[in-house]
Amino acid sequence: MSIENRTAPTVLVPQDRFLGSLYGRNIRAVIARGLKATWGTNWSIMVSGFVEPVLYLVAMGIGLGALVGAVTGPGGQEMEYANFIAPALLAVSAMNGAVYDSTMNVFFKLNYARLYEGMLSTPLGPLDVAMGEIFLALLRGALYATGFTAVMGAMGLITSPWALLMIPAAVVIAFGFASFGMAVTSYMKTFQQMDWIQMIMLPMFLLSATFYPLSVYPEAVQSVIQALPLWHGVELLRQISVGIFSWGTAGHLLYFVVMIVLGLTLTTNRLRVLFLK
Amino acid sequence: MSKPEAAAGPGVQRHEVLGLRSPLTPRQTAARARRFGSFYYADMWIRRMRGYQGTVLMTAVGTPLVYLLGMGTGLAVLIDGNSNAGFPGADGSTVSYLMFLGPALVATAALMVSSEENTYTVMGGFKWHRTYYGPNASPLSSGQIALGHVLGLTVRILLTTGIYYLFLVLFGAVAQPATGWLMIFTALLAGLAFGMPLMAFSATLKEDKGQFALVQRFIVMPLFLFSGTFFPLESLPLAVRWIGWISPLWHSTELGRVLSYGHPEPAAMTAVHVVYLLVLTFGGLLLARRNFTRRLDG
Repeated sequence: MSIENRTAPTVLVPQDRFLGSLYGRNIRAVIARGLKATWGTNWSIMVSGFVEPVLYLVAMGIGLGALVGAVTGPGGQEMEYANFIAPALLAVSAMNGAVYDSTMNVFFKLNYARLYEGMLSTPLGPLDVAMGEIFLALLRGALYATGFTAVMGAMGLITSPWALLMIPAAVVIAFGFASFGMAVTSYMKTFQQMDWIQMIMLPMFLLSATFYPLSVYPEAVQSVIQALPLWHGVELLRQISVGIFSWGTAGHLLYFVVMIVLGLTLTTNRLRVLFLK
Repeated sequence: MSKPEAAAGPGVQRHEVLGLRSPLTPRQTAARARRFGSFYYADMWIRRMRGYQGTVLMTAVGTPLVYLLGMGTGLAVLIDGNSNAGFPGADGSTVSYLMFLGPALVATAALMVSSEENTYTVMGGFKWHRTYYGPNASPLSSGQIALGHVLGLTVRILLTTGIYYLFLVLFGAVAQPATGWLMIFTALLAGLAFGMPLMAFSATLKEDKGQFALVQRFIVMPLFLFSGTFFPLESLPLAVRWIGWISPLWHSTELGRVLSYGHPEPAAMTAVHVVYLLVLTFGGLLLARRNFTRRLDG
């Protein structure tokens, strides 16, 4: 054995480890930095973030509910309009939160604050950075999902104990969008391009069987909607909220597992290309 | 080289040294700027908007399309199929959900554009891009700069509401086109009645500590949802109905409904809507001018 090999600390030889230079086994450093930054500056905005879906629930559930009446839910049983849209609004808020955190937020850190450049010049790898950022987004998502579910309970919209599972399911949905969002953001060059992301989310929000069942559409439109991730999120949470499961439930979950794996691979790869040429 | 003509005045001679011909002396240019200053600033504002014209057009065209498809046709299947739902139209008739929704969507679009242009744009003019300081060092007064901003904003809102109205017509959401087109302007009033006080507020901010995010979350969003936009205000309990009463969006939407399909309403109420919107607009504008003057000249 040569002297160099004996004196060099083993942690600094990433080639010998699983995932080598991509992963520095230090996600917690990224998370700790994120938490510190959040609580130091904008915690009030952070905490009040769950208000938006609640406002939608109150306005649409009561006001629009009076116009719509009962609707057909999962398993073909009739349900109140507020019960129908509540899980959908939770899915939308999981999507919005995850996409905001993984696009606008990451875009700023990537191009203006140059935060990741600094992080990657330490022993942190791109996978640490991607996972750390996504974990923070999910933590925030879990907080909002808990708050929203509590409001649903207070409004008497929870009819099954299964409804508690909406919280972890919302986190899975957020994970799917967050892992993809970061990869997409790495291609963006200007703030104006970020508006295009909004222009994809708005139609998804309005058309993904959020406010009415899919059956109002013609067949051809239905299959387009069914290809979109938000529809799977809405259906998943809607089935969980009433505790009626089918093979479809597993299908929706699988959709998000695939999305997460693909998104993470893409994101890590993009960060590697951008910074570790 | 011909000799300078004596009749053209001293300005022409001065510029002929550079090979340029200007019909005006610097003094005359300044006098013009003083007279037409707000238009000069509005001109600049609109030219700046071309920097993000893709976004402007996308939101102006994409948003109506998506809302009309999603709510106006999708949700309408449910609502029109429900026998309890019916929206009173002219002379005891009822109208479809799409017709009921149309004027609300146009007014909402105006409100959204206005809330965007009266927050970060105004703040940026003072703090980040400092767009106001250049013109303020010229013969333009701070009041003219404020008014110029409003003129530019008006053009952008009219562009948005005009395109939106065309979409409504295409979707068959306007029962009375003879008066319906006036909703382009009642929607503009909603945008200005909400935007002018907001502009006055933004002009006082020294630092962005997330105030705009809170305005968006606690003012714009509730106004959007509780202003009888997607359903009549009466279907909400009294505890939240007041949000609609103070909301410029509700007043403008009701006006739009009267114009678009003859929504039955006493004439006195229609007058209340107009007066309320005008008071907010001009009150807010006066306040905004005062705040601009304080900040730029103080």
